[in-house]
Amino acid sequence: MSINSKNISLFYNEKEILNDISIEIREGKITTLLGPNGAGKSSFLNIISGDLDFYKGHVYYNQRNLAEINIQEKAFLRSVMAQSQPIVFDFSVYEIVEMGWLEKGDIKYSNNFKTALQEVLTECDIDYLKDRKFNTLSGGEQRRVHFARSLLQLWRESNSLDPCYLMLDEPTSNLDLFHQIKMMNTIKKLSTEGVGIFMILHDLNLAFKYSDYIAILKNGKIVTFGDPMSIINDDILSNTFDVKIQVNKKDDNIFINYV
Amino acid sequence: MTKNFRLILILFFLILLNPIYVNSCDRAYNPSKITVAGGSITEILYFLEEQSKIIAVDLTSNFPEETKKFPSIGYVRNLSAEGVLSLKPTLVIGEDDMGPPDVVNQIKKTGIDIIILKEEHSSEGIIDKIKCVGEIIGEEEKTIDIINSKIMPIKIELDNLSKNLKNQNIKVMFILTMDSGSPIVGGKNTSADGFIKMIGAKNAFDSFEGWKPVGTESIIDAAPDIILISNRGAHSYKNLENMHNHPTVKYTPAAINRNIIALDGMQMLGFGPRTIETALDLSKKIQMIETN
Amino acid sequence: MLSIINLKFLNSAQSFILFFLLILLLLVLIISFSLGSYSFPVLSILMGNTSAIEATIFTEIRVPRVILAAIVGASLSVSGACLQGLFRNPLADPGLIGVSAGAALGASTIIVFGSSLTSAFIFSTFLLPLSACLGSGLVILMLFLLTRGFGHQGVTYMLLVGIAVNAIASVGIGILTFISSDSELRSLTFWTMGSFGGITWSLLIPALIIIFISFLFLLPILRNLDILQLGESEAKRLGVNVKSLKYRIIFASAASVGASVSLSGMIGFVGLVVPHLLRLLSGVNHTYVVIGSALLGSSLMVFADLLSRLLIQPAELPVGLITSAIGSPFFLWLIFRINKI
Repeated sequence: MSINSKNISLFYNEKEILNDISIEIREGKITTLLGPNGAGKSSFLNIISGDLDFYKGHVYYNQRNLAEINIQEKAFLRSVMAQSQPIVFDFSVYEIVEMGWLEKGDIKYSNNFKTALQEVLTECDIDYLKDRKFNTLSGGEQRRVHFARSLLQLWRESNSLDPCYLMLDEPTSNLDLFHQIKMMNTIKKLSTEGVGIFMILHDLNLAFKYSDYIAILKNGKIVTFGDPMSIINDDILSNTFDVKIQVNKKDDNIFINYV
Repeated sequence: MTKNFRLILILFFLILLNPIYVNSCDRAYNPSKITVAGGSITEILYFLEEQSKIIAVDLTSNFPEETKKFPSIGYVRNLSAEGVLSLKPTLVIGEDDMGPPDVVNQIKKTGIDIIILKEEHSSEGIIDKIKCVGEIIGEEEKTIDIINSKIMPIKIELDNLSKNLKNQNIKVMFILTMDSGSPIVGGKNTSADGFIKMIGAKNAFDSFEGWKPVGTESIIDAAPDIILISNRGAHSYKNLENMHNHPTVKYTPAAINRNIIALDGMQMLGFGPRTIETALDLSKKIQMIETN
Repeated sequence: MLSIINLKFLNSAQSFILFFLLILLLLVLIISFSLGSYSFPVLSILMGNTSAIEATIFTEIRVPRVILAAIVGASLSVSGACLQGLFRNPLADPGLIGVSAGAALGASTIIVFGSSLTSAFIFSTFLLPLSACLGSGLVILMLFLLTRGFGHQGVTYMLLVGIAVNAIASVGIGILTFISSDSELRSLTFWTMGSFGGITWSLLIPALIIIFISFLFLLPILRNLDILQLGESEAKRLGVNVKSLKYRIIFASAASVGASVSLSGMIGFVGLVVPHLLRLLSGVNHTYVVIGSALLGSSLMVFADLLSRLLIQPAELPVGLITSAIGSPFFLWLIFRINKI
């Protein structure tokens, strides 16, 4: 099962932002979108998450047209971690994470809440922060809290077959190296548990290490799409980013060098 | 201190303290073109048949009808110096609510006579006011004649009636407006208070000063026998029948006995010649009510 | 089901505070019913052995007045809390969206021009509240039309519309002030300081219904107001129908504030500060803050009205003066006390 985007085009103020994009995001796999700023990456994420609705083309969630899925159902199908807005009132970290829990009105589900919350707090290493006021946290800590909230939104009982997708727009910004790696490991773990992951990243090395599929977007068009080992080379990267890049492939790993 | 020095000191302080309030009734230098800032003064000039001297009036000068023909200097508390001066008066007469003080000073500085009459809320005060206006315009004899023939008989009748009424301890409440929740009522030292005393009645609300809102429970507690209200204050009531049912006054003896009386505001509170007549009429009316 | 969803979001401290506020409200109501300018032992009324006039004062004058104070206090505080949540702005208050200004303009027009409209109206006691309601209704309509049904424009746009409405109403009221006579001016002045006098059951009951229904209308979305704090896009992603949320809050606030202002004039401070008092005490989630605001707001207002009736007997102090005079220093004290910890 997957999210299928077909022939997505986006116009805004008579400018073409996206041109005929067709990408598949598979459950259980990590798909990363790379590209220079202004390529249209965030707009694409907004389209496939269901936030933007004035586009051409179609998006299907497991063969269902996204445009026909209502807002509550969408919330159960996918979780998004994007730029966050300042929070005006003094909520505690616990209260912010808790907002990711979607009430299905199902008593059984509600009993899982405490378990789920604890799992998520531990996984994101914020258990010790849970009673602190959110606004007193550093930028990086706040990011981890929002990440935890996105995870809570996705939480399913272990025997559940419900599809779910996680979309992340630059999730690692503001995080120190330790927490960047920790977050990427969590994301990897989620994908092995069956969650379909879609990410926008700036850090190429990180992207190549963790992704199952890479899509490169430049000027609104897909330059290439596929598994990193096969599609990534010096020319493609250098042309995309207008920087001389040297690609090194060794033992199933890819890392790049700027010349 | 020598006598002279003391005199000079007193004079000095008088000048310091009171540049504006000239309470003198001295004859004005040139009373031929008068701008009036106060409805009762306009009334008095008509009463003395000296209306030909008027060239402009303020907004409160609404009696008699023909005063409408005069150019208006606007709201007496908020005059414009240029506006007043543009009409070229030789004399300006007003009461102590004429303002703002800066404007009044400005007008004074141009050399025009500005006279401010002090107001006393009683029959004697009205007569003094009429006398004063008469002196200012230089018609003292005529004024005294008119007062004796037209006012004194009324005043004497009023004094007798009100003396009688006083023994009966009639409580009167004066409502200014009823538009803002609790009615606004005249307390101690207001023109309404003075008017009520002229009639010979007791102000049902003499425990506070000035115009204040009064709660319904207090109104019931005070139990006024008569309620006076200006026509403007009674405006939203199609006829007085509705007023008697107004929730704030409904349970007063005045409302129950249908003794709510609405009259023109200036007629009651202007303290010109009409006010003495109106006080007499009301006093008679109340006598009749009480004897029933 | 409704109550279950709501109560779950209260922690134990918050539940305790709400319970305490309920008791406080009951106490304040009892005291207010018992005291007044016209004094008599209230117990005797309840036992039926009083004079007719005492019974009348109690049932026709005092009780409606105290109830009005309670529902106005509740509606202003609840609106304030919800608008603060909707606009994500701790300084929002019911005046922000221009509804009170519209009501004030309607009322001021009647105060100054009432005499010319006399012939058209039989029910003169309804004239003022009716025109105030009309004023606030027009503002609601304008808000609705200008934001095209609260569409994509977002809350900043609504704030701007509110600012414009407030400015227009200011001009209108300013002009009316300028052309008014001394007595009308006094009316205007006292009306803008607030008063609960002159209320009758026939005026009170419609207001009671409007305010109560508005409150019920708001209860289901309190949790969503919390989620809205993450931002409109994020709230949508979490399944919140943001457009419907805006509708509910704007309509409920406008209706209840319009009803309040039309009966009692402008009473400031309460809508802004009561929600904050609650937040300072025990947390910021809206279930707690909004329900708490209803309880605390009514207690405060009933108490303020009691003071307004008793302090300068037989005259009345405008209630708006009291709420500001007592409330502001207390609020200041509370801020300093909490922040020291």
